[in-house]
Amino acid sequence: MTKNDFESVVREHQRMVYSIACNFFHNDAIAEEVAQDVFLQLFEHHRTIQVGTHCVAWLRRSTAHRCIDAMRRASFRQELQVDSLPEIAADIPETDPLLQEGLRRLIASLPEKPRTILILRYGEDMDVEEIGRTLQMPARTVWSHLQRGTAMIREKAARYLKEKVLEGDRR
Amino acid sequence: MSQFERDLRESLRHREPPSGFAEKVLARARESETRHRSKPWLAAAAAVVLMIGGGIFVEQQRQQTEDEKAKEQLMVALRITGSKLRNVQERLSTIQQRAVQRQSNP
Repeated sequence: MTKNDFESVVREHQRMVYSIACNFFHNDAIAEEVAQDVFLQLFEHHRTIQVGTHCVAWLRRSTAHRCIDAMRRASFRQELQVDSLPEIAADIPETDPLLQEGLRRLIASLPEKPRTILILRYGEDMDVEEIGRTLQMPARTVWSHLQRGTAMIREKAARYLKEKVLEGDRR
Repeated sequence: MSQFERDLRESLRHREPPSGFAEKVLARARESETRHRSKPWLAAAAAVVLMIGGGIFVEQQRQQTEDEKAKEQLMVALRITGSKLRNVQERLSTIQQRAVQRQSNP
């Protein structure tokens, strides 16, 4: 990749890198910082990286690892309290922004590995094998983290809805 | 795909980064490049310092080896001289003894 290619790569993939970081941290400022660092790392290694699929895979891998490292360093794990979720209406439309926000917060509250895997699976539309290659772990482990992550989200969401229903009954 | 998976996909869809994101990245890249450019001078200066320091060290080592060699040679020479002197002394004392014997038994 040449220096001229770098600018077009930044413009083309900024949404992807920023979104992975943003979904991971659920915090715009940290996501922006991590995403910038990823592109700077790309700039430092631009000679060894080819434009195209290689570059996209490199960016996804680098972003995922940077997110995990940044979280371990700062240990700003966000343990989500169900009460802190936004109100979810009983009749949920197809694309409810409150539901989306609730899910984003639940995803950001997961342990780092299931969280990263869920983001790559549903945010980047990657299959289990691709995620395994990106995170350097066996496909079976990816699969088990994915199952665990979705189960945790379902459980947290169900608990939240149950609390709301009980609250409604009491009234 | 289940509704739950569709919801996950929807909630994790790509979002626009803050405005000016790309410009900030490019500015930081240029800045980092400038910093890297100044590094060859630093590396060259460090190399020169190392070479001079290394040269001084090697010279000191050579001088020390030479000194030790000279000291050793001097010690050997002194030992040889000492042994020669002892031989001469022994011979002298033998001659002296014989002379005394001759004088007492003419």
